[in-house]
Amino acid sequence: MKRVGLVFLVAVLVALPVFAGRVALILDVGGRGDLSFNDMGFKGTEEACAAFNWEMVEIQSATSADYLPNIRNAARTGKFDLIICVGFLLADALNTVAPEFPHQKFGIIDAVVPQPNVLSIVFEEQEGSALVGALAGMLAAEYGYPYVGVVLGIEIPVLYHFEGGYRFGIDWGLKKYAEVTGKAAAVGLLWVYTGTFSDIAKGKAAAEAQLEQGAVAVYNVAGPLGIGILEAVSAKLAKENREAGPPFMIGVDANQDWMGDGNKVVASMMKRVDVGCYTAIQMVHEGTFQGGVLSLGLENKGVGISRYPDLLDFIDFGIKAGAITEADRARIIANWEAMRAAIPAWIWEAVDELESKILAGEIVVPKPETREEMLAVRAQYPLSR
Amino acid sequence: MSWAWRGLRPILESILAGAIGLGAGALIMWAWGYNPWPAYAALFRESFGSSYGLAGALANATPLILTALTFAVGARAGLFIIGAEGMLYMGALSAVALSFARLPSGLHTLVALLCAAAGGVLWSLVPALLRAYRGVHEVISTIMFNWLSHFLAFYLVANVLVDPVRAEKTLSVARTSRLPLLIRGTDLSLGIAVAVVLAALVYLFLWHTVTGYELRAAGANPHAARYAGVSPQRTVLLVFALGGAAAGLAGAVEVMGRPPTFAVYSGLTNIAGFGFDGIGVAMIGRIHPLGIIPASVFYGGLQAGARLMQMEAGVPFEMVRAVQGVIVLALALPELTRMFKVFLRTWRARRSAA
Repeated sequence: MKRVGLVFLVAVLVALPVFAGRVALILDVGGRGDLSFNDMGFKGTEEACAAFNWEMVEIQSATSADYLPNIRNAARTGKFDLIICVGFLLADALNTVAPEFPHQKFGIIDAVVPQPNVLSIVFEEQEGSALVGALAGMLAAEYGYPYVGVVLGIEIPVLYHFEGGYRFGIDWGLKKYAEVTGKAAAVGLLWVYTGTFSDIAKGKAAAEAQLEQGAVAVYNVAGPLGIGILEAVSAKLAKENREAGPPFMIGVDANQDWMGDGNKVVASMMKRVDVGCYTAIQMVHEGTFQGGVLSLGLENKGVGISRYPDLLDFIDFGIKAGAITEADRARIIANWEAMRAAIPAWIWEAVDELESKILAGEIVVPKPETREEMLAVRAQYPLSR
Repeated sequence: MSWAWRGLRPILESILAGAIGLGAGALIMWAWGYNPWPAYAALFRESFGSSYGLAGALANATPLILTALTFAVGARAGLFIIGAEGMLYMGALSAVALSFARLPSGLHTLVALLCAAAGGVLWSLVPALLRAYRGVHEVISTIMFNWLSHFLAFYLVANVLVDPVRAEKTLSVARTSRLPLLIRGTDLSLGIAVAVVLAALVYLFLWHTVTGYELRAAGANPHAARYAGVSPQRTVLLVFALGGAAAGLAGAVEVMGRPPTFAVYSGLTNIAGFGFDGIGVAMIGRIHPLGIIPASVFYGGLQAGARLMQMEAGVPFEMVRAVQGVIVLALALPELTRMFKVFLRTWRARRSAA
């Protein structure tokens, strides 16, 4: 009889899922389904949980009044080894809650919360933006377009990293073009802060205006507005009876190359929120977690320009999200390869060169943090025609 | 006996409706493969089973009591005011604007609350005048004014009241005008007292003053009320003013009393929806100023418990919202049926008169 009990106990223990740790993922009102920032946070957390045998609990916020109670409630339960807040909008709330629970470990993406128990994960967006800027500048010069474009969201400091890096990159690309071809190209920058991260119609209108003026590519620095930018690019191509760019969109955050059938997004500035979440969980799992700022750049694959393996990875991501189906996979890959192959090889080599120079520390991309610093970078790289 | 039955019946109806709603919600969860028992256990333990949870429920209830009052006062006087949402934005932004004033704390809070109420009243003025003197139906005008308010608020948040260092929000309300927290480490502020006191005052006004009686008479039978000498214009203006003040205060208590930011976020993400939720809450509370209070606390508790349903029972957010919706719908059903019957009766009377 005793043995039966023992066998039963063992069976129960085996049947119960035993996790090495638990993580709570707290999202802002944007929530899942953006195919970008929030979905990337989910992706990285899911991957880390699979790798380290952790359990994930996802908590969405109905309104921004929920941020504080969501974080506080998660901390109160005391059952999470790590609580990750995805997005800078949660920073105020975390800054309030973190001191109340000094033994709880927290992580936050895209903001610095100066508390000893918070790991703040930020990105060197200027490095990746410089790469796509160089690409856009060289494309405009090569194809004879007068402008490159960028559509930005709300004018917040983190977006200055994108704008500053992009300006630097375009300038570098134009110099490279002159060096390779011996010809100077007059290329200007069209840029606009739309004041929104949600109004897709504004993204479309802004991109249409830039494309009409002759922008070779429009860089999406406004999250979901990319959907509108891609619509504008597709409409422009349809009007010219073509399927593949130029003009192109340049994707952001996630790898968005697969959108628009694979031949309208020339490249993406990937800001790997997934890498950030994965790293935070790994640090807790391995016992190396400590509060402070973790800056992810080109060097630790926190940002980067999209390449072939990323395309495959994110086609899976798109299929899982239901945006495309398995049947689209082969066509998207073929279209993407054709699009990239149509661009002269020296341009891609130049992008690689810039990347290796940034990695080697030979080139330091400007990283404006305040309005004053941004104005200085704008004055240094005016890029007006 | 019949007197006691008249008082008890709505309460019993609501309890029955709530039970049906919970059952339907459980069925939905079960049908999609989630175990309803731990989900409901988490929901109720966190919303009403602990002092922290109860504080959260009360904090959520605070703006809802006020916006529900807007709808309830209107409904009692025979008006269908959908405009609390827009009035609330104006109240919230008035409270933010008042943070420029330099006043000692306490007085600053009071002045900001009064200005927010005034902001709500001003915003309700045009639909009120249109209704009183031109017969423009209040459903149409208040819905339109909600959109006007929405876009005006977007403009003000992004361009006028914007925080120069953090463009994702307005300036934070001055420390001197914030409502103090009642319990540290929770969201519960003195705003709940503002809401409950106003609800009690509205009850006294409606049931224990002559003007309040006239107002209810106008709602019960406008023709008879006018025949008895009740001015319909005065009734409409009074109801809108009262509703505007309550909704304006709802916006104010939310930005002045809800940590940590004490500001309006761009996209209005921290104040949007309370006006519409108030309509449902008013229905649950049988459009009675005192019934609204437990209804708001219940609704606020559902919201507070929703995060624990996600955290402890692993029920996804969308499912939590669906279950909440079913419960709220069931609870609102008795009042909806009553209002529909009244509507049908007046419609038939009008048709037979014509």
